[in-house]
Amino acid sequence: MKKNQAKLWIGCGIFCVAAMLLSVWYAVTFNNSRLVTPTDLGSYTFTPKDLPMLLSVSLFCIYVFALCLLLMVNIRKRKRSPAGANITRRINPRLGLLGLLGFLGFVGFWTYPATGDVSPFVFFLFFGFFGFFYEGRMSGTFMDERFRENAARAQLTAYKITFRILLVALIVLCQGRLFGSLEYTLIAAVIVLSLTLALGIFLPEYLLYRYDHDDQAGEGEE
Amino acid sequence: MAEFECRLKKYRQLKDLTQEQLAAQVGVRRETIMRLEKAQYNPSLKLAVDISRAVGAPIEEIFLFP
Repeated sequence: MKKNQAKLWIGCGIFCVAAMLLSVWYAVTFNNSRLVTPTDLGSYTFTPKDLPMLLSVSLFCIYVFALCLLLMVNIRKRKRSPAGANITRRINPRLGLLGLLGFLGFVGFWTYPATGDVSPFVFFLFFGFFGFFYEGRMSGTFMDERFRENAARAQLTAYKITFRILLVALIVLCQGRLFGSLEYTLIAAVIVLSLTLALGIFLPEYLLYRYDHDDQAGEGEE
Repeated sequence: MAEFECRLKKYRQLKDLTQEQLAAQVGVRRETIMRLEKAQYNPSLKLAVDISRAVGAPIEEIFLFP
């Protein structure tokens, strides 16, 4: 993607978020927080004051949809281009910081007793994004046959570990008697699933980096 | 991994090629050539043939399997 195009997309994103914030402020201040607080759509009746909120939400949805579409088109283009096919994708290692979002999963320990909501536990999945750190360090690497072999080995090892953990978790959790409560079992299942999937995302990148760099350890120029 | 002896370094030096040049010729990374020379990487048949052509020596002279 060209720099100008990227700037345009970022600008549109900022505009959408700003429009959303503005309409939320309008709804909270002048419209009794309609559509901001949970709304029963079955009994919903339209009023003109809902327009800013409806418009900003629609705009945001269109933006996210267009972003996903752009991502898919770029992935397809990259796969078709012979030049890019043999080089790992370029990623900034700092994207690995997105893994910190995984700590949001701990919010679940607060929301569950307070509101009974267990969904924040899913955020543990984001720990997998720490893998971007290693992928970033390997970005732009020429993928020769040894690299592809190492990548396949790393992927296989990651799958093996992930499936073993899932198997053990399944055997333990399917009893449904964890801490003597089915609800706690569900929470444990959500946490274990999220963490295992995060491991499944993180491990291939980490192992590939390790294999590639262990190979290079001790190697010197002739 | 199969144990083998690799004489790639000798043939490469005879051809006056650096690891980087040979890697570019056969389409792999320099690290792969390093691993090959130390017999720590078992190459695919295609890579072995490409290397053999690049250094101008028969495969069985470069890679010696017991």
